[in-house]
Amino acid sequence: MNNAAPIHAEPATFLALVIFTLVSLGLGVVANLVTSKKAGFLQKYFLGNRSLGAFAVALTAAVVSGGTFVGFPSLAYKHGWVIALWIASYMVVPLTVLGVLGKRIGQLARRTGAITLPDLLRERYGSPALGLLTSLLIMLFLTSNLIPQFKAGGVIMKMVLPASTVGMVVDEATTTADVGYMIGLAVFAATVVAYTAYGGFLAAIWTDVFQSLVMALGVMILFPLAMMASGGLAAATQAGIAQTDIGFAFGPGATKNFHPIGLAFSFFFMWAITGMGQPSTMVRLMSFRDSRTLRFSIIYMMIYNLVIYIPLIFIFIAARVIVPDLAKPDEIMPSVVIKLANPYVAGLILAAPYGAVMSTVSGFLLIISSGLVRDIYQRFVRPLASEKEIEWASYTATVLVGLAVTIIALRPPEYLQLIIVFSSTGMAASFLMPVMLGAFWPRATHQGAILAMAAGALSTLGLYGSGYAMSGLTSFVPYYLLGLDPCVWGLSASLLGGVVGSLLSPPPDPARVALLFDAQPPSAPAPATLDLHPNLASTISTDED
Amino acid sequence: MSHQHSDPTFRNARKEAIGIGLIWIGSTIYCCVYCYFFGYIRPDQPRSVAEIAPIWGIPSWVFWGVLAPWIVCSVLTFWFAGFYMVDDDLGEDHAGELESDIREGGSHE
Repeated sequence: MNNAAPIHAEPATFLALVIFTLVSLGLGVVANLVTSKKAGFLQKYFLGNRSLGAFAVALTAAVVSGGTFVGFPSLAYKHGWVIALWIASYMVVPLTVLGVLGKRIGQLARRTGAITLPDLLRERYGSPALGLLTSLLIMLFLTSNLIPQFKAGGVIMKMVLPASTVGMVVDEATTTADVGYMIGLAVFAATVVAYTAYGGFLAAIWTDVFQSLVMALGVMILFPLAMMASGGLAAATQAGIAQTDIGFAFGPGATKNFHPIGLAFSFFFMWAITGMGQPSTMVRLMSFRDSRTLRFSIIYMMIYNLVIYIPLIFIFIAARVIVPDLAKPDEIMPSVVIKLANPYVAGLILAAPYGAVMSTVSGFLLIISSGLVRDIYQRFVRPLASEKEIEWASYTATVLVGLAVTIIALRPPEYLQLIIVFSSTGMAASFLMPVMLGAFWPRATHQGAILAMAAGALSTLGLYGSGYAMSGLTSFVPYYLLGLDPCVWGLSASLLGGVVGSLLSPPPDPARVALLFDAQPPSAPAPATLDLHPNLASTISTDED
Repeated sequence: MSHQHSDPTFRNARKEAIGIGLIWIGSTIYCCVYCYFFGYIRPDQPRSVAEIAPIWGIPSWVFWGVLAPWIVCSVLTFWFAGFYMVDDDLGEDHAGELESDIREGGSHE
């Protein structure tokens, strides 16, 4: 077995991370300065004044996370060509994730004045209970997602911190991996919380764009180097078969029954459909500038996926020749980069997953803090709070959420990657159908939306809980009912709940439906105004007039 | 509630969503069915090295089952977003009005 070259204390990598960190902090400051004079604070801080351009929407919604640059390569290395089918639904992701709901969410967010997902659902359905339930579920799922992200950031920082830094804190003889991790976690958390809290949504977006560009650059540099070093894909395939088994060249993959066809089908839901239901995606769909921006962002995202994912498959199939029989496949990405690129380019490429984790974390932090400030503090506790009070509440909430997650991440739970998949599935199963039905079905009611949300969340929790129980509490793998991933069942249960719940409840208020589904003059009120002044209903034009 | 809602943005968005849904269904069925029959090891279908039949070093089932449809979908995406989707008006932003409504609602309590 081949052991990876150690990347701990690589000066070039450390330098790249320092540059990444400084750029991120700088973007936070610039974002704060650029937006400080425009619009209301909450809209600016949590939504960037609905000003995102096509490039920013495309690159920040490209579902690129730390896992893309670490987890995906190790799967290609371990299981071979079947990973192409595993990721295949990315061919339609730009259309599904941005195109299906983008225009309607953009329109409904403007007509209702919503700046958060709970805002959107509450105003669409006219239900404070639904808004509160949405906030609570977002906090539950996103917090569980943030813990492994923080751990990933801490681990990467630990790997590249110079040994002397750790030695300054603890005597070399007593230095343990945990001390390095805690220092790494502290540096990571302080950086990301600082620029997110200060710069808000735009800081998160700009950092995301920055790391996405670095990732793309890294892939473009690595691709020709990997092809030349491996002698081509045919040679790499033969090497892979020799090191594993014939499954390296076929489905369901090498070494185990990795990707049976039922799961392959499920993954067309997993990436293309659950991606639509993530709160982070929906917030971006509430913040793009106009329809033209949306169209161009779909095209840019299509190009980005094409130049990132297909070359990544090729590079890490070729890795079987470049770094054969690696003992820890999870280290294949840094191993290949260090072997192929010069130290400074390697440093930059290795900094990309760190940047990806940072941008993911900053986006999630803002969604949770916006839920706390807008949907709970302002809506239920202090509706008369001044702009200044809301501003400080937002900064404080972002810092406190970051601090809380850091404390939990000091002793992170096991099964980190599975927890990320679980929370992503749970969020899609909870939120996608209420939003989809709310956007396209005028008859959808708040009772139906609540039932859809509950059915999606409970079926996901049930299937993961069943799998955990059936493993004797040793493995957090879900129960694959009929061989399908829980995301398929969660989405189906949610759709059924939404339709049945809506049909069994009284039809929604016709005036609210007209405001959201019929052509309206610019002077038409927001639904919240209609709630406060029901007499305005007579002034709203409907298509039946 | 059976009448047709005439907001053009809503109608266009719904039409476009249906189109995207059809593309998603088509790609899902094609990729899964093709790859299962031509690229999967099954109880009745053990595979051999000869069956890899590489095209530019890529196993033929990956080439025709994933890469070719990926290219087709990319072209389709370019046409769909570039020429089929409509630049609809998303309307006035009522964020400020909602902010005022929250305060007004609070002052009534």
